[in-house]
Amino acid sequence: MTSGRLLLEVRDVVTAYGKIEALKGVTLAVEQGSITCLLGPNGAGKTTLMYSAAGILKPRSGAIRLAGEEIAGRSPHEIVARGLALVPENRLVFPAMTVLDNLRAGAYQRNDRAGVDADIDRMFARFPRLKERVEQNAGTLSGGEQQMLAVARALMSRPKLLLMDEPSLGLAPLVVEEIFRIAGELNRDGTTILLVEQNAHLALKVAHHFYLIEQGRITFSGNPGSLAEDEVIRRAYLGAEQK
Amino acid sequence: MLDLLQNSLDGLMTGASYALLALGFTLVFGVLRRMNLSYGPAIMVGCYAATWLSLNVAVGLFVLALVTLAGAILAGAYVERLCFAPHRTGSAVAAMVASFALWMQFEEAVTLALPKHLYAFPALYTGPPIAIGSLTLRVEALVTLAVAIAICAGLWALLYRTRFGIAVRALIDNPTAAQLAGIGAGRVFVGVFAIASAIGGATGFLIAATNEQVTPMLGMWATLKGLLAMMLGGLGSLPGAVLGGLALGLVEAHAQWFFGPQLRDLIAYLLLFVLLALQPGWITRWTTTRSAS
Repeated sequence: MTSGRLLLEVRDVVTAYGKIEALKGVTLAVEQGSITCLLGPNGAGKTTLMYSAAGILKPRSGAIRLAGEEIAGRSPHEIVARGLALVPENRLVFPAMTVLDNLRAGAYQRNDRAGVDADIDRMFARFPRLKERVEQNAGTLSGGEQQMLAVARALMSRPKLLLMDEPSLGLAPLVVEEIFRIAGELNRDGTTILLVEQNAHLALKVAHHFYLIEQGRITFSGNPGSLAEDEVIRRAYLGAEQK
Repeated sequence: MLDLLQNSLDGLMTGASYALLALGFTLVFGVLRRMNLSYGPAIMVGCYAATWLSLNVAVGLFVLALVTLAGAILAGAYVERLCFAPHRTGSAVAAMVASFALWMQFEEAVTLALPKHLYAFPALYTGPPIAIGSLTLRVEALVTLAVAIAICAGLWALLYRTRFGIAVRALIDNPTAAQLAGIGAGRVFVGVFAIASAIGGATGFLIAATNEQVTPMLGMWATLKGLLAMMLGGLGSLPGAVLGGLALGLVEAHAQWFFGPQLRDLIAYLLLFVLLALQPGWITRWTTTRSAS
């Protein structure tokens, strides 16, 4: 299932907001072909790491390598060009643009018009609810539909690595299950996924490998089952107990 | 009743040029999330370049229009590189203050080149106005209206029928998500600035040729009208900019009729004051939305 090759390597990354270090030296790796999960409580640094990998934030130090190429500190559009796409926390669809235009925006860097059109058809086949709403403004979609649109938009750039930041946030359980099912499908079809989640229970069901992040540091790395699941859930939601 | 119609007609005609000024202003404000206080002055540089040419060489209106356009675009590029590119991820206030400094610089520059308070500008049309029934219509106003409609149609096509247009609308809607989709903000900003400058240049030429004069006050005047029309129409909205411009024209035309020319501007500014008093958070809310980094 996973090839053993590392598609993403994060080494000792420090990212700060002014004087506050949100990431205090994070090291993790994502194997090609895997679904790797990053779990942790609120404020642990999950979104900061996603934004650092996607180029929205520039790490103060450390290395981030995508397929061997250094991407830390590059601008977001350069990183998309190298095959990384982030489905951001809170979806961040373009509310005043139609579903179709949202998808076209995701394909902005591509020059193959026919390929883009074919991919749009493929997205509608995978996400039929989006096809029903193709001419609607994205701001009028439900939370679950927006999440699917955000995923589809990210997929339009044909990424090697898909980052998903808390896709279950604010969604009903049935919708969350659908999103995770789609993530599994995408992975089987060849997309490597780094999934950030608070919902440890569902995440561990799809993950090949997972990391725990707490207060800006990785505190555990292993396969599902190597840490008792309730221990993982407790630490993901609440963080390790302070002794 | 006839007066009302004539004033409304005149107001809409003037409003067409205000709408164009507002469009250029709003493009920069909506996409870059920065207020460009050099917008009018850059237009003025274009107009003065054409004026200088017309004083020294006998050239046709078309050449003068091109020179105005070129001057406005070059001045706009200068502003973009000096004031907005360096502060893309930084302070919005720094960019605005820098653009204010260039406003001063442009005003000084044109006054040094052409020191008189007022210069004649070749007329757009020297014939009589057209009469439709009991209403009169100036031909220059019709030309301006036609150009305004053409520019709006062109802008709409650019925004809704091209890939560049998707990038612009995405950056207006959500700059972070736009960058995550692979849209290079820096390059789009340069393009948007150029388009706004071009629209400004065309508008400046029409205004100068309609009024048959240029003054060093043109810069401030154009910025104020654009700003006021943009605020009337709703900050950051392009259709709003057009409606705001037309509304401003109507308000001024009727205010002038009922209260006289001195109070006309006062009433327009009073309207702005009321709007700001009712919605004080407008400007800061927009400029502090996270800009593209």
